This record gives sequence, C-alpha cells and structure tokens, in this order.
Amino acid sequence: MRIDGYRYTWRLPLIVWQALFFIGPLMLMVAMSFWLVRNYRMTPDFVFDNWDRMMSRSFFWDAYEVTLVRACVAAVLATLIAFPASYALAFKVSDTVRRWAIFLLVVPFFTSYLVRIYAWQVLLAESGPINAVLGFGGIGPFSMLNSGFGTMVGYMTLVLPLVIILQTTSLAGIDRNLIEAAWNLGASPVRTLFRVIIPAAKVGLIIGAVFAFILSFGDFVSPFYLGGSKPPTLSILIIDTTKSGQQWPLAAVVAIMMIVTLFVVAVAAVGAAYGRRRS
Amino acid sequence: MRRTGGAEADGAGRGGVLLYLAIVFAFVFAPIITSMIFSFNSDRFPTVPLGEFTTHWYETAFSRPEVWEAMQNSLIVALTAATLSTALGFATAYTDYRYNFRFKSAYIALALLPPTIPLVIMGLAMLAWLARLGISGTLTGIIIAHTVMAAPFAMAICRLRLSQMDPALEAAAWNLGASQWRAMRSVVVPFCLPAIVSAFCLTAAVSFDEFVVAWFVSGLNKTVPVVILEILQGNVDPQINAIGTFVFLTSMTLVVVAQLLITRRRKA
Amino acid sequence: MTHTKFTRRTLLAGTAGVALAAPMINRAWAQDPVEINMLAWYGHAEPDMVEEFEAENNVKFVPKYYAGGDNMLALIAQSPVGTYDVILSDAEFVQQLNAAGYIEPMDSSLFPFDDFWPEYQNFPGHWTGDQLWSVMVRFGLLGVAYNTDALTRDEAMSYNAYWNDKVAGKVGHFDWHLPSLGQMSLLNGNRSPSPYDIDEAAWKAVQEKTLTLKPQVGGYFDYGGTFASLKNGEMLAMAGIGDWITAVLRKDGAPVDSVIPEEGGIQWTESYSIGKGSTKAELVNKFIQYMLSPRGQVRSIQMAAYPGLSPTKSGWKAIQEANPAEAERSGLIEGAEQSPIKLLSENRVFLRDIPRQQSLEDWNDFWSEYKTA
Repeated sequence: MRIDGYRYTWRLPLIVWQALFFIGPLMLMVAMSFWLVRNYRMTPDFVFDNWDRMMSRSFFWDAYEVTLVRACVAAVLATLIAFPASYALAFKVSDTVRRWAIFLLVVPFFTSYLVRIYAWQVLLAESGPINAVLGFGGIGPFSMLNSGFGTMVGYMTLVLPLVIILQTTSLAGIDRNLIEAAWNLGASPVRTLFRVIIPAAKVGLIIGAVFAFILSFGDFVSPFYLGGSKPPTLSILIIDTTKSGQQWPLAAVVAIMMIVTLFVVAVAAVGAAYGRRRS
Repeated sequence: MRRTGGAEADGAGRGGVLLYLAIVFAFVFAPIITSMIFSFNSDRFPTVPLGEFTTHWYETAFSRPEVWEAMQNSLIVALTAATLSTALGFATAYTDYRYNFRFKSAYIALALLPPTIPLVIMGLAMLAWLARLGISGTLTGIIIAHTVMAAPFAMAICRLRLSQMDPALEAAAWNLGASQWRAMRSVVVPFCLPAIVSAFCLTAAVSFDEFVVAWFVSGLNKTVPVVILEILQGNVDPQINAIGTFVFLTSMTLVVVAQLLITRRRKA
Repeated sequence: MTHTKFTRRTLLAGTAGVALAAPMINRAWAQDPVEINMLAWYGHAEPDMVEEFEAENNVKFVPKYYAGGDNMLALIAQSPVGTYDVILSDAEFVQQLNAAGYIEPMDSSLFPFDDFWPEYQNFPGHWTGDQLWSVMVRFGLLGVAYNTDALTRDEAMSYNAYWNDKVAGKVGHFDWHLPSLGQMSLLNGNRSPSPYDIDEAAWKAVQEKTLTLKPQVGGYFDYGGTFASLKNGEMLAMAGIGDWITAVLRKDGAPVDSVIPEEGGIQWTESYSIGKGSTKAELVNKFIQYMLSPRGQVRSIQMAAYPGLSPTKSGWKAIQEANPAEAERSGLIEGAEQSPIKLLSENRVFLRDIPRQQSLEDWNDFWSEYKTA
C-alpha cells in the first residue's frame, strides 16, 4: 500500500535512530545508577546505595534549588531581553535585513562558547575594560565576576541568539492581516501587541523560553567560569561527584533527577505552546 | 505588504527599538570581537591595557598538525551531523504536523528529549554505549552523538515553519492529482526550504561548537572545541583566541556565501 | 547562468580543497613516524618536552589531555585495552591505576634509580614489594600562593593568611579537595604521620576549620580560572596550588608568588606508567629513560605548561649548568635553604596522598558541602 510506505518513511527514522542511539545510552545510564564501584571500576549490580546517599545530602538539594531558580530567571530574562529585538527584526526592518540579522545570529554558534565565556572573564574583570570605562564616569569598579551577575551574563551569551531567532521566526510569520484588522478596529500599538501579536507568537515565545531554561539548567561553563562555582549548580555537582574515585553511578543519580525535572518542564511547556491547535 | 501600517508614525519609537537591537547585537558580539583583538595581543594573560601587536599565537597554533586535523574533523562531523539531523528533524516535524496516532505524545517527547540530558552525562552514556558498539573514539561516534543532540533543534525549526503552512496547500496538490511524494517535493519542501536551510546551519553550528560530549567520545580523533577545551583547562593560552578567531572568520565567510547562494537561487 | 554556476562550484571546491589539504602540506615532510598515545596533564606532549625525543627516535606523541586524576581513570575505563601507551599520572593515583588493572608491570633495572636522591627511590604506591609499576619523573611543592601587592611574604608564611582581612572575598580555591584540605589539615597541626592520615576527630576538626574560611572565598577554579583570576587580580590568594602556577605567572609579569609556610607544604608528584595492553612498551621505556636523563630533566624542569622539580642528582647538576637562575629559584642546589630534599627531611613538606582513614567520597562530599555552604 503506497500510503503506508509514505507514512512510515517519515515516522520510522526517528524511532529507529533514537532507540539505537538515545534510548540505549539512557537505559545504560539508569542501570548505572544502581551499580557499585569496586576498586575504582564500575561493576554491574542492583543496589539503592547511590540513591540513598545522594538524596540524603543537603548539598544536593541546595544545588537543585539554585539551579532551578537560576534557570527560571535566565529563561524569563532571555525572553524579555530578546523580545524588543525580535519585534524590531520582525516588524521594523526589511526582509533582507532580517535575513541577514538571523544569519548573523547563527554565527555565534560557530564560535566556541568556551572562547566567548573566556572573553567575558577578561571584559568583566575588576581591572577589565568595562570597569575602566565606568571609571571614567566616576563609578565602580564593580566586582562582576564570581557572582550571580557573571553567571547570568554567561547564560545570556549562551541562549540569546537562539531565543531571538525563535522569537523572530515566530513573530515574522504572524499573518499581517490580523494586525491590520486590529488597527482598523482602533487598537493602539500596545494593545495590539498584547492582544494580538503575543498570543499569535505564543509558540515561538514559549519554545524560546523553554530552550533558554533547558540550556541554562544543564550548563556548567557559565556558573563555573563566570560564577566561580559559587554556589555550584547541579551540572558542577555531577563533575565534582565524578572526581571522587570514579563515582559515575552517583553522578547518574544526579543526572536522572535533572532529566526528570527538565522533562516535566518541557512537556508542560510544549503542551502550553501547542494546546488548542489542530494537530 | 511589508510595512505594518499607519500607526507607525512614531519614528522615535522605531529609532529606540532599532537602537535596542544594536545594543543586543553588541552584547552578542562583544566577546567575539574581544577574542579577535586579544588573538593579536602579545600578553599571555590578556588584561587591559593591551600589549603589542603580534601574530605569534596564530603561528604557534597553526604550525601544529593537530590543529589542522581537528579543523578537518570538525568540518566532517559538523556537515554530516547537520545533514542527518536536518533530515531526521524534518521527518519528525512533518509526522507531527500531518499525522495523529496512538502514542504520538510519546513520539514527540522522544524527539524532544535529548537536549534535556545534561551534557556531561550524555557524554559518558554515549561513550559507554558507543564503546560497546565498538565505535567510540571514531568520527562516526561523534557524528552519531551530535545528530542525536542536534536533531531536536532541526525538528523545532521545521515544525515552526510547518505550523505556518496552510494545510489546504497540500490538500490542494492531492486534489489536483499529485501523489503524496510529488506534493511533498513540489509544495511542502519548497515552502519549508528556508527552515530546512536554517536547520542545517543551526545543527552544523551546534555540532561545530559542541565540546563536552565530543571530548568524551572523540578519544584521540579530536574536534576543534576539544582542542580548545584542553588548552583552556590545561594551560590558558591565547592560542585559543587565535583558533577561535580563525574559526569565526571561516564561519562568517561560509554564512555569507550561503546567504548569497540562497539569494541568487531565488532570483534565478 | 553558466558563469554563475561555474563560479559557485569553483568557490566551494576551492575552499574545501584548501581545508582538507592543509594537514597534508604540514605533514608532507614526515616519514611515517611511530605513534605513541599519551594520556597526561596538559603540556606533556608539547614540542618543548618531546621534540628532541621525537626527532631522534622517529616517533610522534599523540596526546589525550585530562583535567584531574578522576578524569584520567574514567577515560581509561571506557577505552579499549591498549589505547594508551604511556600514562602520566599523579603519584597517588598509581595505586588506583594498579588496583583497576590499567597498567603494565615495569622492569626496574631499566631505570636509573641510583641516580635518584635516596628520598625518592622507593616512592610509596609505585612498588608492590619488588615489582615496579610506575616511575617518578617530576614533582613540585604546594604552599600559600598570594599576590605580592596585597600581602607581604611574612604574612604569607602561614596558612592563616587566607583569613587575613586584606584578602576578604578574594581567596580562591583550586577546585580539587585534595590539595586544599591537605593544607587545612596541616594548619590544624596534623603533621605525623601525614596530613592525609587523620582520625575521625581530626577530620571533623579539619571540616570545621575549612567552613570558617567560606566568607573569605571568592570562587573555585580550574587551571584556566586559577591562572586568569590571579593574573587579573580578581583573587589575591589561592589555596591548593604552588609554584607550578605562580612561576608561570611571574614570567608573564604578574605580582604573585608562592611560599612554603611554617605549618608545612605539600608535594605533588608525577610519574609515568605503561598502559595495559600497549604494544610499544619498549619505546615507552626508552622515553622514560630519556625523561630521566639530564637532558630530559632540564626540559621537564623548564616545561612551558608548568615547571617541575627533578628527582635525580644528575638532573640537579644539569639545570645548575643550563639555567643557574632557575636552579637557584627552585632550590635545586644541594644544601640550599629551600631545597626540596632539605624540606622533606626536615618534615616541612609532606607527600600528597589520598585520605587514609576516610574514603575519597567522604572528602569529596565535604568539598561539595563546603561549596554550597
């Protein structure tokens, strides 16, 4: 039957690929969380030692809270910061400029995130250029590194390009007739923005925020290099845990907790984004 | 209908928003520009004020065959992973767009799950698994890992574009007697082409810059980010800036070329 | 139309061609040298260390650099047997390498142990009975690293310097529990048998002492971060490091220095082992012999990535001739005030070790607690 062939050509690749190269490693990792480490080597087993141990540690829950809060802040901040820029790109510039802008925003992805964070370390230092400029104005110097502020700068560096691209694509795709109609009905630009544009771009906005959350939640580069590991996030905790005699099973426990959290957030967000659409 | 109507008499508003856009772009590009400047700076540990102008770091970095090999590896991995990711992402997006079936939510969840896995654990899990399959330490291994990680982005972009397509378009093609494959080729794909190209670029970019998982899985066949990570972790050296700037300029060129190709294609 | 296509295609082909040919151009002169896979800290396979040996023996070192002994163990554990020919590890990890069966036994007659200073001949953990597993090749000392503009040398001569008001909020930690907690242990007076061999009561005391330092702490850093934050003045003191970092920074003009404080210093030690299943053991042995020779030791002492000290008598003589200033600075002169031998024999320096009466997990758990405190 020709229909079946067509349908499954599109449906199956994902299932096969993910089963082989995603579910497989994941299951292995879940299994690993029940293994023991003997003589600095992992041995397959089935014990709950690792779970007991990690769940009872206060530093785990501290790190969990910090990571969750910071990621939420990053998501909101990124969405807010990106929106005026995306709005400008979608409505205030020509098609060509927009296309160039989006391509330009893809470029940071081709530069090393590490190198960019390293550059921020230089820029934000107390003896760095930013403080030097502020010094001319008589303010500062500010200690921007090894703090929540530094970490946020890092997160924005990580997620802003992506969020702007997603938001812009979404905003630019809004049917202009809807906006025209709103004006013709006498709505002010602000009103149009909140009543027409934002709801119509809901998908892009939420997806953007979700990616910002997820990327920030799992990142260790920014909290480590710009935040001074003060306090450590879950990702840093994973690396720390593995520094003690090959304790990958313990690290797997932390990872699973992270995955569950992110999964819940992602599903909820996707539901909110695509709900009420025929699909 | 490009401009958005009469209410846009506020030039100041427009100017303000464009200024904001400029500031945001400045923020995004500040670290990149800084890195470029310091790649020519003589100081080993860059601070202000600057040292002298030098190309020493470039010479050191690029006299090493390892760096060139890493570039080669990065290119191969990124392009292959991008192709696979885009294909996979588009297929998944289309399935989500067109079909309803039992366990569909699970299907979509499966597609979107990879970015939720913290990279460090993804790296280890991939390494362990690929080792069992006998392909850890190979470029194939990295390509597979990167495809898994990048495909969700491709899917998201394609899905976004598909949601802007009028379903009547495909239906119209069928009604006119086109097979599903024909309709796909002549209607859906052309409509989605900007998204497909974006997805390709983005997934190539994701792969190009990815260092955590690559570091675990690549073994002795390193990609550029792995080399950078080793330099950064082991012994801070402005070679990083030199390599980073080179990569940046190459990507910029590629992006511009791609943009020109697309524009010309449209006109032709 | 035809013209456009031609240009486009040429452009793409040209770019691809250049990109792919570049490594070939560089390697055109090499004639198939034997590849030796090395697993090490950054810098050990760089030209300044290996180019002479490579040229003389027609080999090429292919490095995999790790950041931390645990990283090293993880990498070996997940790689096929025989991936790595030579492994450079911190001495305290040799025991773990051996316990997990990752290294080959070595023939002690091949190496110039007679040339070693007696203190380093029978290094703990490197031997089981008469069987040699790993050869010590360089070492260094950890103490108080400080910004000379912020603290005086006298102020830095005690670990209490970390609590000094002048460096409030600007004390950094190298992000590894072992060296920092060892220093805290020394501060509490745990000198014998070792700051790492302490009972429960002493361990509790170390933890409490460490927690009192938290308000002073500015952050936890890896190599890159340690270098950067000391150089740009974000941190004015750093716990858990020593000359191996400050010497490199001083060369670059940063106002930093390290001292061995009155409570005592800690010695880090690096050694070479042969990876299990390696087919190039002969060459590896030759390489280790080279590194232990006066020529090799001079290179090791002046390694660009981070300097080290020499365990061999001939090494000391060689550096005194090759670079007297460096010999003087590092104390590699017999009888010198700060010579490492003297410090070791006067019980002013203690070997870094894994904790004896607690598990590594205990120390690491506390480290995480300390960070979130």
